[in-house]
Amino acid sequence: MEAGGGTAAPAPGDAEDLEEMRFPSEEARDGGGICRDLPGTGDASVEKTGSETKDQPPGLLLQPEAPSCTYGLWGPGASENSPVGGPESGSGGQGGDPSDEDWRSKRKHVFVLSEAGKPIYSRYGSVEALSTTMGVMTALVSFVQSAGDAIRAIYAEDHKLVFLQQGPLLLVAVSRTPQSAAQLRGELMAVHAQIVSTLTRASVARIFARKQNYDLRRLLAGSERTLDRLLDSVERDPGALLLGAVRCVPLARPLRDALGALLRRCTAPGLALSVLAVGGRLVTAAQERTVLAECRLDPADLQLLLDWVGAPAFAAGEAWAPVCLPRFNPDGFFYAYVARLDAMPVCLLLLGTDPEAFHDMATCRRLVEDGMHSLGAMRTLREAASFSSTPSASASAYSVQAVEAAGLRHFLYKPLDIPDHHRQLPQFTSPELEAPYSREEERQRLSDLYHRLHARLHNTSRPLRLIYHVAEKETLLAWVTSKFELYTCLSPLVTKAGAILVVTKLLRWVKKEEDRLFIRYPPKYSTPPAAPAASTDQASHNGLFTAP
Amino acid sequence: MRRPDGKIVLLGDMNVGKTSLLQRYMERRFPDTVSTVGGAFYLKQWRSYNISIWDTAGREQFHGLGSMYCRGAAAVILTYDVNHAQSLLELEDRFLGLTDTASADCLFAIVGNKVDLSEEGPGEGGQEGGPAGGGGGAAPRLPKQVQPEDAVAFYKKILKYKMLDEKDVPAAEQMCFETSAKTGHNVDLLFETLFDMVVPVILQQRAQGPPQTVDIASSRPPARTRSGCCA
Repeated sequence: MEAGGGTAAPAPGDAEDLEEMRFPSEEARDGGGICRDLPGTGDASVEKTGSETKDQPPGLLLQPEAPSCTYGLWGPGASENSPVGGPESGSGGQGGDPSDEDWRSKRKHVFVLSEAGKPIYSRYGSVEALSTTMGVMTALVSFVQSAGDAIRAIYAEDHKLVFLQQGPLLLVAVSRTPQSAAQLRGELMAVHAQIVSTLTRASVARIFARKQNYDLRRLLAGSERTLDRLLDSVERDPGALLLGAVRCVPLARPLRDALGALLRRCTAPGLALSVLAVGGRLVTAAQERTVLAECRLDPADLQLLLDWVGAPAFAAGEAWAPVCLPRFNPDGFFYAYVARLDAMPVCLLLLGTDPEAFHDMATCRRLVEDGMHSLGAMRTLREAASFSSTPSASASAYSVQAVEAAGLRHFLYKPLDIPDHHRQLPQFTSPELEAPYSREEERQRLSDLYHRLHARLHNTSRPLRLIYHVAEKETLLAWVTSKFELYTCLSPLVTKAGAILVVTKLLRWVKKEEDRLFIRYPPKYSTPPAAPAASTDQASHNGLFTAP
Repeated sequence: MRRPDGKIVLLGDMNVGKTSLLQRYMERRFPDTVSTVGGAFYLKQWRSYNISIWDTAGREQFHGLGSMYCRGAAAVILTYDVNHAQSLLELEDRFLGLTDTASADCLFAIVGNKVDLSEEGPGEGGQEGGPAGGGGGAAPRLPKQVQPEDAVAFYKKILKYKMLDEKDVPAAEQMCFETSAKTGHNVDLLFETLFDMVVPVILQQRAQGPPQTVDIASSRPPARTRSGCCA
């Protein structure tokens, strides 16, 4: 965006002050950041930013997130800390008029609209009431587009506006949270992946190619809650999206290995992937070689599946539904068998390529179930599930007390020293959020702090290795080495020396428990279920072309 | 293995209460349900038979799967919301075509759900009652938008569509129900009437050889074309 190149001076514009915004510098920054790695590089916006990075004077690179350079600004005085989004738990069904105070006071809005400006999704309020607002967003996008450029973000005082164009869909986040633009963009990518997983990218493109002003809400009806849950999880239980990793159920290694072997043994024609999960956390997974070939399952796809099977829609019966894995192939469907085993929170997902294979999968499920009974795994997993007081949400979690480090309140730990061939499964572990983080506002505050620390550590222009941050109600220490990435939340009274002691203790504990906390050696491939001839036939159905 | 003997499929627009009807029948309760994803499979033991019931998603997103769920079905329950006339029209527009894959002697039941929300309410067994104006109760309920006669007319339309003779199939009055998953009104009647009707069909299919569901499934794979091989 050359036109804006001169407006680099920090303009204290507010949301309406479009002239004064500083998006040019933003583009430059983000071009060098996370977005380069994202799929869909065919998009004009991504192409554009590549060149944009070079064109920008280096001085501009430091502009946008500069305020967070010293952590003095993180203090309680910073405007983000005002606990505004109190009743965030309430569904955003009613209201939605942009003049509505309640609607305006939300900390973060996420919108999805079509290129023609037709509203598709809004986290809060009814999309009907928002057509004008969405019209403004479309105008912004096409204004920048007409200059042969793509808008990526706008910084306006305490608001960040992040734009993400994906084919015929435009995703916009308007946020007052301390999340960085890159983090917000990650969230938008996840929202987009969620939409693609239900419709496929190809069919979305086809629909809009045929009819530009199509109302996509017709097809997404019923999926809005899934998007709401996804966005809420960022504030309620941070980790998965922030670290790009899945969370595992802590389990003794022999049992996990046995379960992995069991999944590998139980196959069905066209079965591509089997996953055992409890409450959105992974127990183990097995992949079929003949169907998925050398393609590794992307952790984002796995996380999407884990979120998906955790949905209340799968609480009863045996479900059979199409699902698309956006990273694996955004244009084709797999068919998923989802069932809760033994009326337990343990969930089995069998992903196959044959739309008619329901009964084969159901047979396979019974094999898995029988195998688990003979392993005694059901009992163990039930015990794991009953550990926590709220069994449904936090099955198979552990308390931070287990670490036996006084002053430690919570942590996120992501190992980076996993052997190379296991890198396909990034994992993290964290204890249950306990008091004082049981209320909504407290969880939000902690999530905000984690996001700030993460943004600082991963700042593209000035990355940090270690941050010790004394906040008003807690002290935090974030540390990234070649072996791990760690975020700890400590009591506010801890001293620096005390904090180091706690972290040492924690690292020792993780080392001791790592076989239980993580899948150190993920099961690789299951054995081919049928003769080679049959499997080639299956391969033609492995989601590489569009299903109904 | 518990292979089902016969298949019943619930079809209908979203939010007409398909999942609620089934939950009411299977679990005797009326929980808050969420939008169904794809289809959910239930097995019901009826006498010595295993009857499978598919609760399908009403949203358009999963429309393409409908005919798969219906394949070889012995009965289809077409569900609408009595307070929402469009939901009956949708049955004809969107859902009837899906039943083409059902078994040739497939039974059709037309079910108007949510009678508890309309003016008349689930009276004391008088669901075939008079016109909408008859209620006049104090409750701020709206008059029903769909009358039982509309459902009967739709049933006859289905017969025409399927080119069936009225004499060969159960009478319309027998196959049109008005239910309330919330109060449980007519829910047992609906499912159990259908089960009883499906059993002779199962027996007949058995007499004719292997059940049709299995037949089709096993004969299908070779028929597939190898479009777009990627191995």
